[in-house]
Amino acid sequence: MSVSFTRREAWRNRFLILPSVLLLAAFVVYPAGFAVYTSLTNEALSGPAAMNPRFVGFANYAKLLTDQNFWRSLAITFWFVLFSAIIGQLVLGLLSAMLLNRRFALRPLVNAIILMPNAVPEVVAALMWASMLAAGEYGTLNNIVAWFGVDPQRWLTSFPLTMIIIVNIWRGIGFAMILMTSGLSSISDELYEAARMDGANTSQIFRRITLPLLVPTIFLYLLVSTVSTIAIFGLVFALTRGGPAGSTELVGIYIYNQSFNSYQLGYGSAVAVVVLVFSLLVGMLYVRALKVDV
Amino acid sequence: MAERPDTPKTAASRYGLLFVISLYCIMPFVWLLTAAFDPGAGLFLEVPAKVDLSNFFRVFQEEDGLLWLMNSLIVCGGATLLVLVLSGFGGYALSRTHAWWKRPFLYAIILVRVIPPTALIVPLYKVMLTCNLAIAGVVRSVVPPDYVRSVMRFVGFIDGYLGLILLLATMHLPLALWIMKTFFDSVSREYEEAAIMDGATFGQRLRRVLLPLAMPGLAASGLFAFIAAWGDFLFPLTFISSPELKMLPLGIYSAFLRDSQIDYGLLAAIAVIYTAPAIIAFALARRFLVQTFGGGLKG
Repeated sequence: MSVSFTRREAWRNRFLILPSVLLLAAFVVYPAGFAVYTSLTNEALSGPAAMNPRFVGFANYAKLLTDQNFWRSLAITFWFVLFSAIIGQLVLGLLSAMLLNRRFALRPLVNAIILMPNAVPEVVAALMWASMLAAGEYGTLNNIVAWFGVDPQRWLTSFPLTMIIIVNIWRGIGFAMILMTSGLSSISDELYEAARMDGANTSQIFRRITLPLLVPTIFLYLLVSTVSTIAIFGLVFALTRGGPAGSTELVGIYIYNQSFNSYQLGYGSAVAVVVLVFSLLVGMLYVRALKVDV
Repeated sequence: MAERPDTPKTAASRYGLLFVISLYCIMPFVWLLTAAFDPGAGLFLEVPAKVDLSNFFRVFQEEDGLLWLMNSLIVCGGATLLVLVLSGFGGYALSRTHAWWKRPFLYAIILVRVIPPTALIVPLYKVMLTCNLAIAGVVRSVVPPDYVRSVMRFVGFIDGYLGLILLLATMHLPLALWIMKTFFDSVSREYEEAAIMDGATFGQRLRRVLLPLAMPGLAASGLFAFIAAWGDFLFPLTFISSPELKMLPLGIYSAFLRDSQIDYGLLAAIAVIYTAPAIIAFALARRFLVQTFGGGLKG
């Protein structure tokens, strides 16, 4: 290939990637930078600050440190991620993957059923669970627990955080199962055979072979699901809008409520920057863990 | 795992556990499907006295169901199309180039993927507002005043198709770029080089060689972009307020929030209409899931 040809190709490549770069710059990079700037002002959508936002330095961040509601939303987000993504989805996804590791007639059907919640749009998931968790003796979950002699509960009022965790676990088992299935299939049968020859029982095989060899898959899954669970908005917003009394106000919902209901853009941005920095840190871990070959 | 026959006890616990997990996964769907076909549906799961399609007819006759569906299709279809074009070309360039910006750019798009959209929503609102004002200025100077509103409906950034299409496309572009880059990495350069030797221009190479080869990659990135855009709730909630631009997720959300008696049969029917394309797209995308997210990122 001639030099001029190579040069032409190089220019064409730059030209081909340019529209993507421009869009990402306009709608992601610039807003991210702008969030940092806004967080240093007292900008608001209403009140005196709306007309004439002032630079306030780190005042918003100082306010964050003493804001009970902010810490509460961080705590809620932490428990939400821990119990739904890290524990619930992972355990049930791994369990499903292992249980479905054997051929049987209904396997494709069970597989599809477990994956289905993953395909449902957030708002629809919220609607379905509003019916499941409906208060009163005719609510579906109340009907189910009645078999075990439990009295009807007002699920979303009495146990709001537990309920949104259950809803999110429901939504994510399928994705965890898919990743775990691919992880399991890369473990060679010979290892299992050898272990059985040596007289290992099922639980020993799981602890000494399956689990250690799944560690890379699990680690990858944890990074991906942590990031995507922090980003959850619609599922919980449509179901509870953060209530009752802020008990399901995940940090994403907190930002939204601060910015668009309390109109405190500057303060909302400070919260956003905290989330941004944390997500980017997890993202960098992810880049390193993947050992991305580019 | 090698297939050893289950002992009766193992088999019982295996199928018992799977039964419980399946029940957990499928229970919420039971109400949705029952209520959609039950003209007298309520919030509670019950055996319908009568089963018909009247809820679905009402979605299109009494509510603006058709409008919501069309708006969703226009916005998500537009965003998907844009993602396909941009990621097809961009992924190709990323795969073929050896320039210094390749590595930083690829790292950057992974980091972009992990940013929660809620963290960007405030500055995005301001960006969209600024763009909207600029465009409104241009539109007003070109279009007669009577038509400004209807033109803005298409090219506006707030309460307009264009802004939402660009925004949704951008949000789902990084994953698509990644998929296409990885895909083109696996496509041998030899086909292209043969075409270059035969004196084919870039346009000819594109049509005859690259496009046919890229189809599986484009299918994957298009499906993931569509699923993500279709299910998105935050952006329509923030950037759409006029009734004539309402999309399906907003239609459901607002019907659900209505203070007066909520018509659950109608709501369930809208939800079924909204969910069907998502499930179909997901079923098609399933075989790409592992290869995409095993090394890529979750959508």
